[in-house]
Amino acid sequence: MSGNTIGGAETDADASSGAILRTEGLTKRFGPLTALDDVSLEIPDGGITAIIGPNGAGKTTLFNTFTGKHAPTEGRIEFDGEQISDVEPHEVVRRGIVRSFQITNFFSALTALENVRLAAQARYTGFGPSDFLTHHASHDEPIADAERVLERVGLDDVATETASSLAYGQRRHLEVAIALASEPRLLLMDEPTAGMSPEETNETVELIEDIASDTTVVIIEHDMDIVMDISDQIAVLNEGKLLTQGVPSEVQSDERVQEAYLRGGGHE
Amino acid sequence: MMPVFELLRDDDKARTGNQILSRPGRILLVVGILGLAAAGPIAGSIQPFWVNLLVRMLAFALLALSLDFVFGYAGLLSFGHAAMYGAGGYTAALLVGQVTPNALVVLPASVLVGVVVAALIGWLSVRARGIYFAMLTLAFAQLLYVVVFTDLPATVAGVETVTGGDNGLYGIGSYELAGIGFGDPLAYYFLTLALVALSLAGLIRLANSPFGRVVQGIRENEERIEFIGYDVQRYKVIAFAISGGFAGLAGGLYVPFQSVANPGLLHWTVSGELVVMVLLGGMGTLWGPMVGAGLVVFLEDRLGGVASWEVILGTLFVLVVIFAPRGIAGALISLRDDPSGAVDNVKQALKNYVREVRD
Repeated sequence: MSGNTIGGAETDADASSGAILRTEGLTKRFGPLTALDDVSLEIPDGGITAIIGPNGAGKTTLFNTFTGKHAPTEGRIEFDGEQISDVEPHEVVRRGIVRSFQITNFFSALTALENVRLAAQARYTGFGPSDFLTHHASHDEPIADAERVLERVGLDDVATETASSLAYGQRRHLEVAIALASEPRLLLMDEPTAGMSPEETNETVELIEDIASDTTVVIIEHDMDIVMDISDQIAVLNEGKLLTQGVPSEVQSDERVQEAYLRGGGHE
Repeated sequence: MMPVFELLRDDDKARTGNQILSRPGRILLVVGILGLAAAGPIAGSIQPFWVNLLVRMLAFALLALSLDFVFGYAGLLSFGHAAMYGAGGYTAALLVGQVTPNALVVLPASVLVGVVVAALIGWLSVRARGIYFAMLTLAFAQLLYVVVFTDLPATVAGVETVTGGDNGLYGIGSYELAGIGFGDPLAYYFLTLALVALSLAGLIRLANSPFGRVVQGIRENEERIEFIGYDVQRYKVIAFAISGGFAGLAGGLYVPFQSVANPGLLHWTVSGELVVMVLLGGMGTLWGPMVGAGLVVFLEDRLGGVASWEVILGTLFVLVVIFAPRGIAGALISLRDDPSGAVDNVKQALKNYVREVRD
């Protein structure tokens, strides 16, 4: 079940035409440490792209530059043909790049529904009079959106429960739901199955494939079985450099990749 | 009274399971406001001085309310709210003294000046977080204090006096509105009560608005709120400016009533005492800090002559922190939820405290 195949031809020659996000010479230094070193990669529009690599390869830093959290030291990031390397995080979200977090990072005192509604509200609210003077619950669209998203991730029956009271698997789904409520065109997921039981992992993999049916998904994932199973594209990072990018079968047989993993001590 | 109905309007809208004040809470608030409206004439008939005290309690309740909106609700610890309070107060003093006693002109001006001062301080401070934010607001407030104390505006404009320097401005008349004078303390009390009730209703509405939900989200999880698409700094500055408007209104109500504006209004000790009032009352509840402020002003007036007032306030503060960390409001809420557990809670709090101190 490798999803819709984005063939080798497209990734080789004319991927540029179908790329939703592209980096050119992307470099990020933190003092003496070079976290990303001249990375030029392309995320094809549609499907699932996995970013893999040993610990410390720069995967999370890559996400942080995509979302505007870290400004690149050098290089460009283009989303949908527009330069976004100096755009603020909240503006990046409005343009359609949204991330979910590895650790659950939500509003624990609020209900599941309110967590998601708050994210959905961002697409409707601004600084007009009604944003200050009306009751938030009198706006139907964000609530309807939130209910729809909760149903999609299978949390509709715990919508009114406080986020902090949810079980681990449910929390992780809520995490995804918050990201989905922003209606991303590109969803970045940082280790979506980390710490999950096999059962929860299966559910999450199904969810990711469902999301990928209408959204471009990029995942950071350590579980190679999952990566090989669901990815249409794999990008391999090692020591801040892009080692290779291609379809799973190519990447799997690439000697440099195997070597990097052996040297880096494998994955967690 | 309009605010009374305003408070009751939001029923059954708690669909998302989160909102400030349940319906019974709202009814209690309305009852409280009506009770205060009745208390004024009664207090006045016993001893006119009590009306004076009630007005001061209300003015500080409004100031504490304004601080709670940014501190308890938005999570921004402002240590400089005296700046907006004093700015609103001096605005009222200057306008009433030299332009017009019309409350419809002066009070909006006090609000506006509070908003502008807060927007400026907020804009310069929100880039810092936590204690650094608090220190920046403190520094800017002290700056304004010095400006007023040394009467810098007079020096700049080349006139003899504007703020009256360390003496301040005195002999300020009271408000007028549509031919009615507010020189009578009881009339002033009703004006103040109406505006404080309106402010509370307005801030509750604001707290439940889409804007208010985002602001609360910032307090809960600042990083995440940014990554779901909100401009955190802009929201913070606006919340701070709104809060400053209400602080300015508090100053505008306090000064003409006392007929004095002195630099002490802007002193950092006012900001500090205000933070104590909010913590004592229970931050983040909006009504709790108002109770806390009223209580502190009342006790200060009654006990100020008995012994060293700071010792009394300090003791009270310590007791509340140990036995009711969520303030008076928190204690009342847990008493309502679990009346029989109250004694156990106190024992538990004492036990925890002793253990913490020993460790």
